[in-house]
Parts: sequence; structure tokens; C-alpha cells
Amino acid sequence: MTRLATEALIIDIPGRSSGVPLNLAIEPGQVWGVLGPNGVGKTTLLHTLAGLREPRSGKLLLDGTPLDGIRRKTVSQRMGLVFQDRQDGFPATALETALIGRHPWLSPWQMESGDDLAIAERALIELDVIHLKDRLVNTLSGGERQRVAIATLMTQSPEIWLLDEPTNHLDLQHQTAVMKLLRQQAACDRGVFMCLHDLNLAARWCDQILLLYPDGQACWGPARDMLVTSALESLFGQRLLSAELDGFPVFVPG
Amino acid sequence: MPISSPSKPLLILLLAGFLAALLSVSIGSTSIGFGDTLRVITGSGTELQQTLILELRLPRTLSAFATGGLLAVAGALMQVLLRNPLADPYVLGLSGGAAVGALLAMLAGAAGFLISGSAFAGAMLATLLVFGLAHGSGSWTPSRLLLTGVVVAAGWGAMITLILSMTPASRLPGMLYWLMGDLSHAATPWPGLIILVLVCLMVFPLGRALNVLARGSLQAAALGVSVRPLEWSIYLMASLLTAAAVTMAGSVGFVGLVVPHMLRLVLGNDQRLILPACALAGGTLLVLADTLARVVIAPEQLPVGVITALIGVPTFLYLLYRSR
Amino acid sequence: MRHLWLAALCVLSLLAPSLAQAQGPCVRDALNQKVCLAEPAQRIVSLSPGATELLFSAGAGEKVVAVSAWSDYPPEAENLPQVGDSNRLDLEAIVSLAPDLVVAWVDGNSRSQLERLSDLGIHVFWLAPRTFDDIAAAVSDLALLTGLPDLGNERAEAFRADMAALESQYADARPVKVFYQIWDQPLMTVNREELISKAISLCGGVNVFGELPRLVPRISREAVLEANPEAIITAGSSDDRQWLEAWREFPGLAAVAAGNLFLEPPDLLARPTLRMAEGAMHLCQTLEQARANL
Repeated sequence: MTRLATEALIIDIPGRSSGVPLNLAIEPGQVWGVLGPNGVGKTTLLHTLAGLREPRSGKLLLDGTPLDGIRRKTVSQRMGLVFQDRQDGFPATALETALIGRHPWLSPWQMESGDDLAIAERALIELDVIHLKDRLVNTLSGGERQRVAIATLMTQSPEIWLLDEPTNHLDLQHQTAVMKLLRQQAACDRGVFMCLHDLNLAARWCDQILLLYPDGQACWGPARDMLVTSALESLFGQRLLSAELDGFPVFVPG
Repeated sequence: MPISSPSKPLLILLLAGFLAALLSVSIGSTSIGFGDTLRVITGSGTELQQTLILELRLPRTLSAFATGGLLAVAGALMQVLLRNPLADPYVLGLSGGAAVGALLAMLAGAAGFLISGSAFAGAMLATLLVFGLAHGSGSWTPSRLLLTGVVVAAGWGAMITLILSMTPASRLPGMLYWLMGDLSHAATPWPGLIILVLVCLMVFPLGRALNVLARGSLQAAALGVSVRPLEWSIYLMASLLTAAAVTMAGSVGFVGLVVPHMLRLVLGNDQRLILPACALAGGTLLVLADTLARVVIAPEQLPVGVITALIGVPTFLYLLYRSR
Repeated sequence: MRHLWLAALCVLSLLAPSLAQAQGPCVRDALNQKVCLAEPAQRIVSLSPGATELLFSAGAGEKVVAVSAWSDYPPEAENLPQVGDSNRLDLEAIVSLAPDLVVAWVDGNSRSQLERLSDLGIHVFWLAPRTFDDIAAAVSDLALLTGLPDLGNERAEAFRADMAALESQYADARPVKVFYQIWDQPLMTVNREELISKAISLCGGVNVFGELPRLVPRISREAVLEANPEAIITAGSSDDRQWLEAWREFPGLAAVAAGNLFLEPPDLLARPTLRMAEGAMHLCQTLEQARANL
């Protein structure tokens, strides 16, 4: 079980003078959703949490140890990230792509074993892309690539899952399947932290919400406290209508 | 691909390399049959045959193999470094630096070791120059490195033209042959071969990290790769390989571009397989090209760079055409 | 100012053909074009080191106003103004010297560049000496164009006589297989069309690569081993001695076994000029030495 905490963290957004320092913790079993309009720094926040970008100030603690004091390899065993953009200059199959998730777990001299292969194939089955395992990733559709990317994170099998808009390009069925998968992971005491655009997905599946405002303001807390129509209207600059269906709030533009 | 055993394609390539080398030592402007060649290798044969094969052809064949292997591995590394399958070992101006070094030495009337030494110094200077300039004050990206290298290469190109235009006509042929890539300069194959083997051994444990790096530096960092040190060590290794190749044979073109590219089409993208395969296939290709260069208009000789370009250009265009 | 001057020159050039009708020296050049001057040339520009040397031999040295780069013989030619390298001439500089004769070299100068000089009305005389007789003829022709025909003929005849004497002297000498090395990396030699090879035959030598199709073939070391020459000769200063020493690596070579690795004095055989007589004489003595060693 791993816990990622921020201490007075201010992310580095060029041209933004200040911001509210973030003091939050991704606890095992939690599913976080980050909401905010375009350009507010959701992706930057994810990259900063993963240790890929320097924060402007503040600290990140992984199980109480400052993140920059831990070897990259160890970090990547405990924390993984699904990116919004992916590079594929060199062609690779879906299976090879998923298999790179094993990298943090192997020594330089080790070849991938049958066990590693089984882990990757299980992830492809979970994400319903096993039938594509020998196809080149650059020939797949956007939604299929998204699922392969999530399968890669699943193969990496970290304690903390960071995801940048994991439901991008996905059809309704797979959106639901992916969100269910993430909840399952949380149920196994993993921490999930994702950026989302869809308020209703956040309302349905997340138990913790972080709202990021363009001026650097931020607030966070349990979903039921954060998903208030007035707060969301001011966040997105858009009038909203809300209702309750099946015990979860639903928002539509008004 | 990472799972299937890498040994089969490598064994085939090794065999091909061996056959190419045998072919290369048995033909030349004087023809010696396979039988006589084998006899010489096992220690008999006439004195002339022994001299031809052991003192002239074998070192040259080994030099060709080393040069081709060095260039192909350097090309494959450069392609991963720049995340661009169309990069080649010279794209960052290394051959330009080496050429300026070699030509200045030739202009000054130096010969042999001084020319290769000066070429090596030029290549290393070019490496450090691009290293320093691309580092700069801002952030470092493959495109920044590429742009710096391309502009520096253009500068070297201008200096080469300047040197050529200041050179008396009698010295020009030597310089032009050097620029086209020519193995008659190669003094000894051993430093090149040793560097090739050492780098291949060093690269093997880095192989999987290179596979990850090919997916982008952020993805690699998220999977625990120390991207910056890895990128600089690839750059330095690729530079060392290229410098060693250029020092032996001048700027032989196309091997570093075409060989990794072709192997990727056939063998996939696992660097642990591609890099040793490049060493073998690049070496084999250059041995064959040099054999052609020695015999097409024998006893006259062509520079091997002409042959590699003549083979490389249509092959590459065909590959590009086929890959949409 | 220069433009005005060039314009005046263009007008002059229109007049030039009519002036040329007057009585004066007339010679066919290597391109088989008739070059006729109204009177012997007084301002000459030489466009190659060989042409410069031939002009001085023809007694026209004082009338040469400019030369191309690397014109280093005779020594006084080195002090003359230069108009660029043979293959990159400064046309503007040539035109502004207002020469009445330009001597060009078929193997070095650009024909299209010099056509522009002809178009401006400047007389261009092309040289391409490929035989010993061509050298003698070039001296006679240049002497005729520059006003000292008798001196030219006299020197040409002396040259022909020297070469004929060598030919008869070595007509029956034992043939020696010769490899003449003109460059080391890449290894280059000459075929039988080249004057150096002709000098070798004159002295009773046989150029082992004489039959190759190109004038200056690039060959492999193993081709030399197979040809197994009895003498290896190169021209150069003592620095170039190492080219020869490198052959000692192959003691099986007849030339190495006999100690027949010779360094000829530089320059004497390098250009098709009257100095070739001296060069050929030296080469013949060298081959005599080679015969003695065999």
C-alpha cells in the first residue's frame, strides 16, 4: 500500500504568477477525479505528481519519503502514468507495447520471461484488446490505442495510477468498462488519480474531486461536497442543470 | 518479438557475414579460387597468394566489416536518440567535422596516421560542439539536437568546399576519394572491430531501456528510465562509433541509414536484437560493396561510398514507396 | 568607371575582326581553330602553369602580363600577377588586363568560360600537348604568335633532337617492367597515352599498366603485386620517399628484391614542357641503373 502526498505544492505553469498550494494525499483505495477547464494545468499537475516535471515550489512525498530522493526505477514500480499523447515513431505491436510496462521490474540483463508475457496478456484481455495483440499500434483506432495504453499501465502494475483523460476516444461501453476497472483497482487498495472532462463520469465513479481554476485557485474534497452546481458553474463558466439518477448527480449544460 | 529467440536471425546474419568475407578475400583484380583461398587460410598456397590474401585482402575485408558494422549500429542508435527512423550517423555533422580534420591534414601534406588522427579529432570536436550548443541554456529536446546538428553540418560543408577550392589539383583526388568513402586508407581494422564489439556488449544491457526510450522520453521516464543520462550516453556512443568508422574509411554513406531501417522492417523493433543484427548486416553489406568496388573495373578501383550510394538510394526509395 | 571601360572594350571587339584581316602570324591551335593576330602579341595571359613554361621557352616571357595560380617555373613567373586557378579563372581580371593573346590549356581550363573571352574579341590559343612532338610544335607556334619564330624553331628542333637521341640510344636496351606511381592514397598510375609513360618507353621501359583505358587509373595494391614490376618509380621530394619504402613490405616483388625503388626529381616530368627532355634523360639513366640491379 502506497500513499502519495503533496506538501504546499504549486505546479509550474508558465505565465501564472501564483496559486493555492496543494496539500492533498492520494490514499490507497481512493479514486480521484480532477476537473477544470482547458489549459488550467491538469496535465502539468499529473506530470508533476509523477515526478516528470519540477514543481515551482512544495514537496511530493511517496510514503513519507521525498520523491526526488527515490530512484526512478523504484518510483516507477510504485507509480505509473497513462499519457494523453503518445509517440510512436517506431512501429510496435500491441503486445510489445503492453510489455514495456514490465521494464521497471526487470534488471538490465533480464529478458522478459513467460510470467511477464502472461501479465501483459492478462492486461490486454482485461482491456478487451487481446484480439489486437499482434497488430501494429499505429494502425489501431484512437479508442483501441487508449485501451492498449491503459493495459500498459496495468502491466506495470503500480500502487498509484495516474491517468490523463483515460476515457478519451472510448465508446460508452468501454468508458464504463475502464471506469469499472479503475474502481476495482482502488478496491485492491490502490490509489487512482485521473483528469476528466466528463462531469458525469466523475460524479458516477470518483470519490474524491479536485477542482482547478484558471487563476490558480483550487479546492478538493469528497465528491459529494465538491460536485455542487454553483461551484461547477463558476469553474466552467457555463450554466448547468442538475438532477439525480440512480443515486448519483447528473449535470447537463443549461 | 521480444519473446522469440533472437539467436536465429543473428546466426543467419553471422553466416552471411562469414560467406561475404570468404568471397571478398577470394576475388580481386587477381583471381584466386575458393579452393586456393581455403588452402591459404589453412597455411599453404603460393607466396604471392599468401601475400595477396593475408596481407592485402584480409585486413581490408575486416576493415570493411568493422566500418559497416560501426556505421549501422551508430545509425540505429541515432534513430532511437532522435526518435526518427530516418536519422543517420552523419545527420548531426560528425562526418563533416571528421572531413574537415582529414582534409586539413591532407592539405598540409600529412599522410597515414596523421590523417586518421586528425579525422578522429575533427569528429570528436564536432560531437562536443553539437553537445555544447544543443545543451545551451534552454531545455533539451531531440528536435533541438537535430536542428543544431543540421546547422553545424552545413557549416562543416562550407568549410569542406573552402578547403577543396584552396587545394592544388594534384592533391584533389585523394581528398575526393576520402569524401566519397574509401577503404584504401584503412590502416588496421583492429581498433574499429574492438570498438564495435565493446559497444555492442555495452549496449545489450541498455537494450530494453532503448526500446522504452523509442516510445518517447516522458513515457520512458514514467517507466523508470533515467532519460537524460541515457540519451547522452547514446549520443556519445553513436559519436564514438561514427568517428571510428569515418577515421577508417572516410564518409561512407547510406549504410547507417538503410541497414537499421531494413532490419526493422524484417525483425521488428527490439533494440537487443536490432543492434547486434545491425553490426552483422552492416558489416556484411560493406564487405560486399567493397568487393564490388574492387572488381567492377579491376584493376582500377572505385571508392566504396559510390557503391553503397548506388545500392542504397534505390533500396531506400523502394522501402519508402512501399511503406506508403 | 569599369563599366564604361568594358563598354569601350565591347565596341573595340566589334572592330577587331576587321583589324585581324591585316597581315600577321596565323596558327591552328589544339581545337583546330585558326588563331590569327594582326601583329605579334605583346600582352599575353597564360592560363596554366604548363602554358606559362612553354611561353617562356618560346622567348615570350617578358610579354606575359599575368599567369594562373601555381605557375612556378621559370622562377620569374612566380612574381607575375595571377588571374586565379586554372579551373576557376577571374574573367574580369583577365579582361581588364586587355591582353592581345590568352593561352589556354585543354585539360585544365573551362571551355565555356573562355568562349566568353573569345566573344569579347580576345584571341584564345588552346594547347593540348599529348606527344613530344606536340611540345616542340607548341613552342614553335607560341614563338610565331609572339614574334620570335626563329628562336622558337631552334629550341623546338633541339628538343626533338634530344628525344630522338635518347630513342636511338635505348632502342635495343633490355626491356624493364616499370610501375610509375603518381599518388599513394589512392594509389594511382598512368596509362600509355600519358607523356610520362611515353618517356618510359623511350628509355626501353614497359609501363605495366600501359594498357588500362583511363589516362590516370586508380589501381589496387594487389594489381601491382600481380604485375610484379621490376622497377617502381615515383617523382617527388625526399618526403615522398616513404611511398616507395612502403613497398618493402612485399619482398617478393621483383622491384623490391632488386632494390629498384627510385625517386625521380620532382617537376621535370610533371608538365609537358621542354624540361621533359631533361626529365627523360634522368629517367633513362634511372632505368639503366635498374637494369644493372636486375
